[in-house]
Amino acid sequence: MNSFRLTSQGNGILIKVVDLVKNFSNGQGEIPVLRKVNLQIHRGEMVAITGPSGSGKSTLLYILGLLLPPTRGDYWLGGENVLNLDRSAQAAFRRRRVGFVFQSCDLLENSNVYENLEFPLIYAGVNPRERPARIIAAIERVNLSHRLYHRANHLSGGERQRVAVARALVNHPDVILADEPTGQLDRRHGHLIMDHFQEISAEGDTSVVLVTHDPEMASRCTRIYPLRDGILYAPEK
Amino acid sequence: MRLDDLLRISIRQVYRYRRRYWGVVLAIALGVGAFTTMVTMGREVKKTFNQDLELIGGVTVIRSHFDNYHNLNNYKVMRPNWFHPPTLAALRQVSGVWEISPVAVRWTSCTWRRDSYSFQVMAVDETFWQVRSFWALTGRLFGLSEVIGRKREVVLGSRLAQRIFGHLDVAGEVIELEQDLYRVVGVVGGVTDMDLAHGAFIPITTFADRILGAQHPDRLYVRCVTWDDVEHVAKAIPMVVQANQPAEQLRVEVSWQALNQVKKVSWWIESFIYLAIFATLSLGGFGIWNVMMAAVRSRTREIGLKKAMGAEDRDILAQFITESLCLSLGAALIGIGLGRLLVELISYWLGSRPSEEIFFSCLGMGLFFAVVLGIGAGLYPSLQASRMEVVSATQYE
Ligand SMILES: Nc1ncnc2c1ncn2[C@@H]1O[C@H](COP(=O)(O)OP(=O)(O)OP(=O)(O)O)[C@@H](O)[C@H]1O
Ligand SMILES: [Mg+2]
Repeated sequence: MNSFRLTSQGNGILIKVVDLVKNFSNGQGEIPVLRKVNLQIHRGEMVAITGPSGSGKSTLLYILGLLLPPTRGDYWLGGENVLNLDRSAQAAFRRRRVGFVFQSCDLLENSNVYENLEFPLIYAGVNPRERPARIIAAIERVNLSHRLYHRANHLSGGERQRVAVARALVNHPDVILADEPTGQLDRRHGHLIMDHFQEISAEGDTSVVLVTHDPEMASRCTRIYPLRDGILYAPEK
Repeated sequence: MRLDDLLRISIRQVYRYRRRYWGVVLAIALGVGAFTTMVTMGREVKKTFNQDLELIGGVTVIRSHFDNYHNLNNYKVMRPNWFHPPTLAALRQVSGVWEISPVAVRWTSCTWRRDSYSFQVMAVDETFWQVRSFWALTGRLFGLSEVIGRKREVVLGSRLAQRIFGHLDVAGEVIELEQDLYRVVGVVGGVTDMDLAHGAFIPITTFADRILGAQHPDRLYVRCVTWDDVEHVAKAIPMVVQANQPAEQLRVEVSWQALNQVKKVSWWIESFIYLAIFATLSLGGFGIWNVMMAAVRSRTREIGLKKAMGAEDRDILAQFITESLCLSLGAALIGIGLGRLLVELISYWLGSRPSEEIFFSCLGMGLFFAVVLGIGAGLYPSLQASRMEVVSATQYE
């Protein structure tokens, strides 16, 4: 691990995943969903994971976001073996280092957009005086300033997705994990989101990992990893 | 998580989902309101019941007297004992004593239209009627000014009035009593003791002035505030008397059997009411538990999402507990408001109000209860919520 830390800093590697295995049990037995996935993501890199439905894309993203424990394997982020962290440290990891966009673009339904974006800041203990500026900056990135005080359940599907993206941005995470962030957007808005991801990753500190079906969006990433039947193939790009 | 954020989020949540909670809030509010009213007004209500003595058979009146003739059979000469003024003043100060009334009694006779009638005359002061819950059947009873003015006025027992006049409408008649003329002012009602119905009542001051060989009051009626006070007042009387004057042959009588009967009935009624309050509050507690359990189940998405946003287990725990506390405390506050309203109403209706202290201790108890209820009923669901895994929580629909 020590040697890895040295090299990872040298290469600017942010995420390193080694032989990651995930099995789900369904009563009768174990179903392998991820079989020995290996993955390296550099700082500032923008990576796409593509693959057919049910291939395990969301599962991989959950594991990367520490939302789901893997069955086996190692996962380093910034030189730290994050799978060894205790529950509280994992929560701290989620709030400091990861911005997650769910496939179902979950929002807190009865809260408005502002409140939705405030929660990550609340949990991160951000000073209340700093919050409005950060929330507005994040919502401006997705062009939704005019919906700031709308309730989440009154938004359209595309608007919800943009709010979910803005929420992932608001904490300035090390890595943004986005599960089909453009799935419900038209081309123009899809590309807008991708523009922002590109901007953020181009700034150099934040990496973006996104799952997408759309080859056009995938092509804008620095690398595209195909995932089929739980096996992550070498990047196409 | 900052405390102000926690409170803000929790109150917002409860407010937004208020429709889910109103049943629970109502139950707790009613329970706390009833509790506040019961505890604050219980004594006032008992006092009011007590003021209508007939209803409870006079159990709150303690009779005390000096048995001055006890030793007569032994041919032993002794000085008759009586209740001295300082003793009376001290007795008035005993807690739980509502009013006392000293009485002297003597056999006498009167003449009306040349017929003579003998009977027992009781020398009483203006408090006597109140202490014994007597009222004017016809005419009026004499009051403080007649006692101070040493008036020659007489109130008759109903049987005596019948015996002399043949009817009860006797106010204004004049009778001769020990060479003095007395104006009959009324007939006393509410008398359950036949001896008194056969007797007459004159101001104790007039008695001392005008009745030959008049004695000092050797009888005393002590009226307690409520039936709960009777026992300790009865115990206190001999001690107070002893402390102020000779107390030989002092007798204290309480109608224990009737008292216990009344106490038993009132105990049952009170227990029943408290049971109902307890049931309401438990219902509220169970409601909170149930509502919070349901909330945890229906809010798994929210919990998962918050954890994905970096909430720790203790943040989720704190939020759910705070919501539960907001519910129970809010309900308790409404209940206390309700209780206050009832207290005001009942006070107005009874015409007597309790000390503010009781109400404020109720307020404290109500809030304490709410906290216990909120945490007690909210803890398990909140723990469930905080222990949820992130993804199983988000995938749950
Ligand atoms: N909790 C679970 N228990 C059992 N099986 C699961 C569970 N979660 C996912 N799976 C299975 O794992 C496989 C991969 O699921 P995953 O959600 O990762 O697919 P995906 O690649 O994201 O598909 P899609 O493109 O449709 O979103 C699926 O076959 C799914 O049924
Ligand atoms: Mg998926």
